[in-house]
Amino acid sequence: MLKAKSSLGVIFFPAYDWAISETHPEREERLLYTQDQFREEGLFDIEGITEYRPLRATDQDILRTHFCFPSVDGICTESHRISAGGAIQAARLVLERETQHAFALVRPPGHHAMKVVQGNRGFCNINIEAVMVEWIREHYGQKRIAIVDTDCHHGDGTQDVYWHDPDVLFISLHQDGRTLYPGSGFPNENGGPRALGRTMNIPLPPNTSDEGYLHALEQVVLPILADFKPDLVINSAGQDNHYSDPITNMCFSAQGYARLNEMLKPDIAVLEGGYSIKGALPYVNLGICLAMAGCDYSAVLEPDFNPEQLREEPDTMNYIKRLCRQLPDLYFYPKPGAYEKEGRYFIRERDIYYDTDNITEKQREELKDCDDCSGIRIIKSSTHRTGSCLGIELPWNCCPACEKEGYERFKRKNDGFQIVQMLDRKNKQYVYRP
Amino acid sequence: MRIGIDIGGTHTDGVLIDGDRLIAAAKTPTFSDNLLESISQVLRSILSGQDPGKVSTINLSTTLNTNAIVTGRIEKVGVLVVGGPGIAPETYRIGEHFHLIPGSLDHLGTETTPLDMDRLQAAVADCAGKGVKSFAVVGKFSPRNPSQENTIREHLGNRADFVSSGHLLSGQLNFGRRIHTAYYNSAVWRAFRAFSTALQESLLKFNIRADVNILKADGGTMPLLRALESPVVSIFSGPAASVMGILAMEPTDSDILMLDIGGTTTDIALFAAGQPLLEREGISIDGRPTLVRAIHVESIGIGGDSLIQVEQGVVLVGPQRLGPCMARGGSAPTLMDALNVLELVEFGNSRNSIMGIEELANRHGIPGRQLARDVVDTAINAISTRIDSLITQVNSKPVYTIQEILEDRPITPSKLIVIGGPAVVFRELLQTSLGMEVVIPPLHGVANAIGAALTRSTAQLVLTADTARGKVSIPRLEIFRSVPRSYTLETAINEAKSLLIGDLEQAGVRISAEEVQITQADSFNIVEDFYTTGRNIRVVAQVQPAVTVLLDKVNAGIRIDSGPERQLL
Repeated sequence: MLKAKSSLGVIFFPAYDWAISETHPEREERLLYTQDQFREEGLFDIEGITEYRPLRATDQDILRTHFCFPSVDGICTESHRISAGGAIQAARLVLERETQHAFALVRPPGHHAMKVVQGNRGFCNINIEAVMVEWIREHYGQKRIAIVDTDCHHGDGTQDVYWHDPDVLFISLHQDGRTLYPGSGFPNENGGPRALGRTMNIPLPPNTSDEGYLHALEQVVLPILADFKPDLVINSAGQDNHYSDPITNMCFSAQGYARLNEMLKPDIAVLEGGYSIKGALPYVNLGICLAMAGCDYSAVLEPDFNPEQLREEPDTMNYIKRLCRQLPDLYFYPKPGAYEKEGRYFIRERDIYYDTDNITEKQREELKDCDDCSGIRIIKSSTHRTGSCLGIELPWNCCPACEKEGYERFKRKNDGFQIVQMLDRKNKQYVYRP
Repeated sequence: MRIGIDIGGTHTDGVLIDGDRLIAAAKTPTFSDNLLESISQVLRSILSGQDPGKVSTINLSTTLNTNAIVTGRIEKVGVLVVGGPGIAPETYRIGEHFHLIPGSLDHLGTETTPLDMDRLQAAVADCAGKGVKSFAVVGKFSPRNPSQENTIREHLGNRADFVSSGHLLSGQLNFGRRIHTAYYNSAVWRAFRAFSTALQESLLKFNIRADVNILKADGGTMPLLRALESPVVSIFSGPAASVMGILAMEPTDSDILMLDIGGTTTDIALFAAGQPLLEREGISIDGRPTLVRAIHVESIGIGGDSLIQVEQGVVLVGPQRLGPCMARGGSAPTLMDALNVLELVEFGNSRNSIMGIEELANRHGIPGRQLARDVVDTAINAISTRIDSLITQVNSKPVYTIQEILEDRPITPSKLIVIGGPAVVFRELLQTSLGMEVVIPPLHGVANAIGAALTRSTAQLVLTADTARGKVSIPRLEIFRSVPRSYTLETAINEAKSLLIGDLEQAGVRISAEEVQITQADSFNIVEDFYTTGRNIRVVAQVQPAVTVLLDKVNAGIRIDSGPERQLL
């Protein structure tokens, strides 16, 4: 019988009783064929690969990660709590050393959910990786964490959550935003003023296949990880970069994805998108599991796999090679952008569109350029649904001045905000104004 | 009247039951090379003074197939495997005649590579040349589409005396387990057939003309004729018989634990709301997981005769057993001797126990009583640790719906039923250390035979329908046919129920529709190119283990005939 070289915990939670709508790609059927493949292959009979059930994320788990307006229940259902709880279970297994690696094979996904959540964007309500990362920090201290997002879509939500965080390195490999939702993820988006170079975007051209993906991994991702020296590496393992995916234009394969995980060696992988539920997911998920467990995956092949046909055109490969030569500089020698500043505060003003719920959020963010800590962050957010909302975030290393300022803002009366949430990492207080 | 016989590793137990009354019970040694002699001895004892013509049913739990597999006394089997992409089928190589035939299906059952007939012919010729007459034919995803397995079977024709086809053994997916199950099934078939013929002749000599059933690892029975098709499902029926005995003697609707303490091992079983828990996929034998449905029983290497050792100051109990305890003439001190020293029991010659323990303790410079105390603590701790991990494992088993997570009720047993030879000795120790009520049923010595006598048939059936492709399959019954798009989950449930009832009826077992339990009933919207094209329906129906009657406790005082040499263990 087979034995895993390194033990792997798989949190398989297909949510067989939940869908966004009957025919939506994010529906009950999504992981059905993956489970058939796992069962027939006897994945959990391999010594060292074990199946676990998810935990359930609590209000506190979500509120230490997000500003939820109007409330936690207002933006997420049980399915989202359990999906995030699946990621938390993965982290618990690895940090408690019950298994060496863990894969949260859960749905619905989360990487389009930003710091502020007012609804559903790109099938995501809460950011399940971010909820997991904050759970890790709450229970195991301020770790250095690298999130490598290999979903075909730019992980704009995760990028937003960690934009100002120098301890989280976020690298996204995705189909170029000029050709796919959400239209972002360009190299010049490389972190906030106090976390420069800690966001890295690798926009790959349509029809990128195994060689292109693995080239980007080898030339950009791995050297940066070697320098950053994270305590934990997380793979946001979306599978919509597969050649058979119905809503994207890439040519990645199960073999390529397994190899990517073998090279990246993530401690934890979390499923994100991927909607070729019969042609891709059964094979890609099997490939990822075997690669993470150090088992032979060389025969995991889609029935219609034809590497010659999928191979990049020379022009595409040349473009990828040129791009990958330039990108590492953005991490090693980042250039400060033209940040707007009012007094001691960096200012960001944006409109954020929630495509699934058709909501537009107006947002103004103020981050204090504090010499004594990472700086208090104030976010003003408004939509036609919730009115004016205020989020106050105090960093884990918050200085007394920022703390005082934060609580003054929080306790203020008649300041025109309908909903105010405090996210105080220092004292672990995650509460709404009564 | 019903007879239940459990042929165990050391003893063969038998009971005669009339309605709900125990009439007679007997215990005799198991002669591993002549099981029929053990059966005859038991029958002679329990039928003395009875009319054998009144026996309507005889249920037999036998270690015949288990022992044949574990000791390697099995027939050579030609294993013809169709693998395809994925985990290498070579992983499951078993036996001396294992052949891979190129060909493949995908998870929907679509043929993606045709069967390589040249390679098939070569493999069959090779087996024929080596005198192989028994075969196992298994393809990956064959429960979705049996055509490649069927082609191989047809090709074998009369060159095979017996063929196990993977898809007929179970509708559950698991390629490796299917290979192992088919292999063992074909490997024990011939010997089991011989045993069954001899058994029937021997029953005729006793003037017994009853229905003969064989016990399965899931605690249910199947008619002997059915057992000839799938003898493999009789492996490990012994522990299942004990579990069924508990259901007949101590019925409950709460969570309980069973502990069967023997000479060498202790078996632990868990009942959730009074129902014994089954293995998720199937039981393992000889290190190989199978698809044989079984009651989940954990075995721990601690029993009354477990050898005591002291290694670098650490006291070890079991898993070795050199022989009986010193109190009964053994040569090295065991757990039972430690209990004797502590005066927790008065068993056999306790002076021998004291001598043995003192001698071992002296060698390691510790007082004898302390060693005995450490031994008992170690044993009880090991059992209680295993119980805890079993409960944790069961409570953290994977679930796949939000509903299940929200409604999940953790299993928290508060009562322990202890059976087996040394059961009485452990009552107070277990009660104190586990904090659970401990019950020892009066007839615990023959709980296994009582379970065998009173259990009924079990069966399982897996139905998968894909209305977009217009197909339904029920592999175990060899049903693969077309269905209209209008085929619904409700139709599927009803079909599964009536097919299961019909299947059992054909085997001579009558059950009502209420006794069929639906353990899975899912219907998934199949969407292709953003349009609903049909439903993917999954139904699993089963008849769960249960006893036909509860034993009347008034007869609990009956004497167990253990032959001329009365034994306590």
